[in-house]
Amino acid sequence: MNALPEPGAEALIEATDEEFVEQTERNEDLGAPAHKDVRTGRSPGRVAWDRLKKDKVAIFCSIIIIFFILVAIFAPLLYSLQAVDPITGAKADPYTVHTELVDFNGLPTVGASSAHWLGVEPRLGRDLFARWAVGARPSLVIGFIAAGVSTILGVTLGLIAGYAGGWADRIITWITDFFLSLPILLLVIAIVPIAQKSIAGGADLTAEETSSIRFWVLIVILFVFGWMGLARLVRGEVKSLREREFVQAARAIGVPTRQILFKEVLPNLVGPIIVSASIAVPAYITYEATLSYLGVGLVEPTASWGRTIADAQNLFATYPLWLWPSVIGLSLLVLALSLLGDSIRDAFDPSSRR
Amino acid sequence: MLTYILRRVALALSVILATLVSTFLLFFAGPSDPAQAMCPETRCNPARLEQITKSLGLDKPLSQQFLEYFKGLFVGRDFTYAGDTVHCGAPCLGYSFSTRQSVNTELFTRFPNTVVLALMAAVVFVTVGVTLGIIAAIRRGTPADRGIIGSSQTFGAIPYYVLALLVALYPVVLWNILPQYAPISAGVGPYFLGMLAPALILGLYTSTSYTRYTRNSMLETLSMDYIRTARSKGIPERTVLVKHGFRAAMSPIVTILGLDIAALLTGTLITEQIFGVDGIGRRTLAAFRAQDLPVIMGSVLIGAAVVVIMNLVVDIAYSFIDPRVRLQ
Repeated sequence: MNALPEPGAEALIEATDEEFVEQTERNEDLGAPAHKDVRTGRSPGRVAWDRLKKDKVAIFCSIIIIFFILVAIFAPLLYSLQAVDPITGAKADPYTVHTELVDFNGLPTVGASSAHWLGVEPRLGRDLFARWAVGARPSLVIGFIAAGVSTILGVTLGLIAGYAGGWADRIITWITDFFLSLPILLLVIAIVPIAQKSIAGGADLTAEETSSIRFWVLIVILFVFGWMGLARLVRGEVKSLREREFVQAARAIGVPTRQILFKEVLPNLVGPIIVSASIAVPAYITYEATLSYLGVGLVEPTASWGRTIADAQNLFATYPLWLWPSVIGLSLLVLALSLLGDSIRDAFDPSSRR
Repeated sequence: MLTYILRRVALALSVILATLVSTFLLFFAGPSDPAQAMCPETRCNPARLEQITKSLGLDKPLSQQFLEYFKGLFVGRDFTYAGDTVHCGAPCLGYSFSTRQSVNTELFTRFPNTVVLALMAAVVFVTVGVTLGIIAAIRRGTPADRGIIGSSQTFGAIPYYVLALLVALYPVVLWNILPQYAPISAGVGPYFLGMLAPALILGLYTSTSYTRYTRNSMLETLSMDYIRTARSKGIPERTVLVKHGFRAAMSPIVTILGLDIAALLTGTLITEQIFGVDGIGRRTLAAFRAQDLPVIMGSVLIGAAVVVIMNLVVDIAYSFIDPRVRLQ
C-alpha cells in the first residue's frame, strides 16, 4: 500500500499528493515549492489511510466486520459456551441431528434456552446458534478469496492489454466485452450443476463431498465472471500511464519491462485496485447467498446463511427465529462491507465525497 | 460513421455467435444427462432410457446436433416425435424435453410478464431516482442532501434478494397489504395490482444508484459556466435548473438507462422467483431443475441477444449524441 515508486515516478506522486493534502496543510505549503517537501510527502495510499482513520462510518463498519470475522473464527468456542441440553444430554454442535427435539409435525419442542440460544431447527433439531455462527464462515471465505483472485486476474489481464497493446489488447478487450454481455446469472446457475457433475465424474458422492465441491466451484465461478470491470479500468489507466514521461524515461534507460510494470505502473494504480477489491467482497457474498437461495449455491450439510434463509422462508410466520438471525447476519455483514468500500473510495477520491 | 456502426454490429454478432457455441457445448456436450432425469425412477430400464435418448435426438453426433440447432434458428427445422413430423419455423429454439411444448411458445408467452415487470420497475426507479437525485443536488450539503444520499447508500447496500424476500413474506403473504401475483387471465386489474409489489421493490432498489448518478451529473452540470451565465442574465432560478441544468444533466442518465433495462430483463429472475411471477426467469429456473436443455439454451440466447442488442443501440445512439465517441 505504501510502496514508493522509483525516483522517476516521484513527480507524479507529488502531483497527486498535492491534490490529496488537507486544506490546512495546503495553506502551509503555499509558500514553498513542492519539490522541497519530499520528506513530508505522503503516498496516495498513506493519505487515504489517514482519511479513513478519521471516517466514523468506516470505523463503525470495520468493527462490525471484525466482529463477524471473530464469530467465524471462534464459532466452535462460541457454541460450546451453550449449556448441556437436558434432553439429549450433550452439548450442541452444528451438524448433529436431534429428532428427539422436534414433535411429529417437525416443529421444535424446545425454544430459545440456555442450551440453545436461538432454539433448534425445525424437522432436524440441529442447534440454530451453532449453525448461525458457523454459517458466517462460507460467506467470508468465499467473499475474500473470490475478490482476491478476481482482482489479481483483472489486474493481470488489464496490465497485459494496456501495456502490450496490439493483438493481445484486441483479444483481451474482445473477451472482456464478451463476458460483459453474457447473461451471467443465467449462465452461473446453469454451470454450477454441470461443473459439479464433471468433477464428480459420475461417481456417487456423499453429502459432504458434494458440498465441498460446490464450495470451490462457486469460488471459481465467481472470479471467472467477476474480473471484467477491473480489467477494463486497469487497461485504460495503463494505456495512459505508459505514455507518461516517467515510464518513457524508464524505458529509455533500459529498465526491464517487468520492473517497469511493478515499480512504475502498478504503484500508481493502488487506489483503484483497492477500491475495486473492497467493493467486490460484499458483491460476492451477496452473490453466494443469492445462488444458495436459488438452490445452486452451497448445499447441506454446510451451514450457510443463504441456505438457511431459503429453508426458513417456508416457516417464516410460525418460526421466525429460524429466518431472522441469518437475515440480520447477512444484511449487516454486506451492509458494513459495502459502506466500508464506499468510504475507501471516498478516501482515495475526495471529489466523490458527499 | 458507417464503419463505426458496422464494426459495432460485427462485434455484437460475434458475441451472440460465441454465446451460442459456448452454451451449446456447455449443455449438450456437458456431463448432464437429461434422458436420465426424464426417466421415471421406478420404471426406468436401459431400453426405456435408450428410447428417451433417441426421441430427444441425443444419440446423434454432437456436430450434427449443433448443425441442426443452428439451422433451426435461421431457417427452421422438422421434428419427428412418435411418427408425426412437426415443422418448427425460424427462429426455432426446439421443443422442451419435459413439457413437449415448443420453446418459442414456452418463452415468448412468458416474455410479456417479464417485460411488464421490468418496465414498471423502470418507471419507479427513474421517477424516484431522478427526483431524489435532483433534490439532493439542488440542496447540496444540507441535511436533506445528506439524508437522501446516506439512506440510498444504506438501502442499496443490503442484499437485494433478502429485501425482496422480506417484502414478499411480510406485507404480501402475511399481512396482505399488497396483493399477490395473479396471471393476466385473472383480469387486467388484479394482474397489474399483483405486479405492484415486485415492481416497487425492484424499482426502489435500483433507484438508489440512479439517485447517485443524477446527483453527480446534475452537480457537474450546475458548475458549468453557462449556468452561471444564465443566472447572471437574470433568468429565474427555476428555469435555469429545469431548462439549462436538468436537460443537459439527463443525457448520461439516458445512456445508463438503456444498458440497465437490458440488465433488468435478465435480472428480474430473482424477483420473479421470489414473488411467483410467471416470467421467463422463473421458467428458466424450473428448466434448470428439470435439465430441460432446449429451454435453458433458449433463455440464455434470448438473454444474451437482448443485452447485446441494447448495448449496440445505446452505443450507436450515443455516437450520434456525442461525436467524440466515434474517434476512439
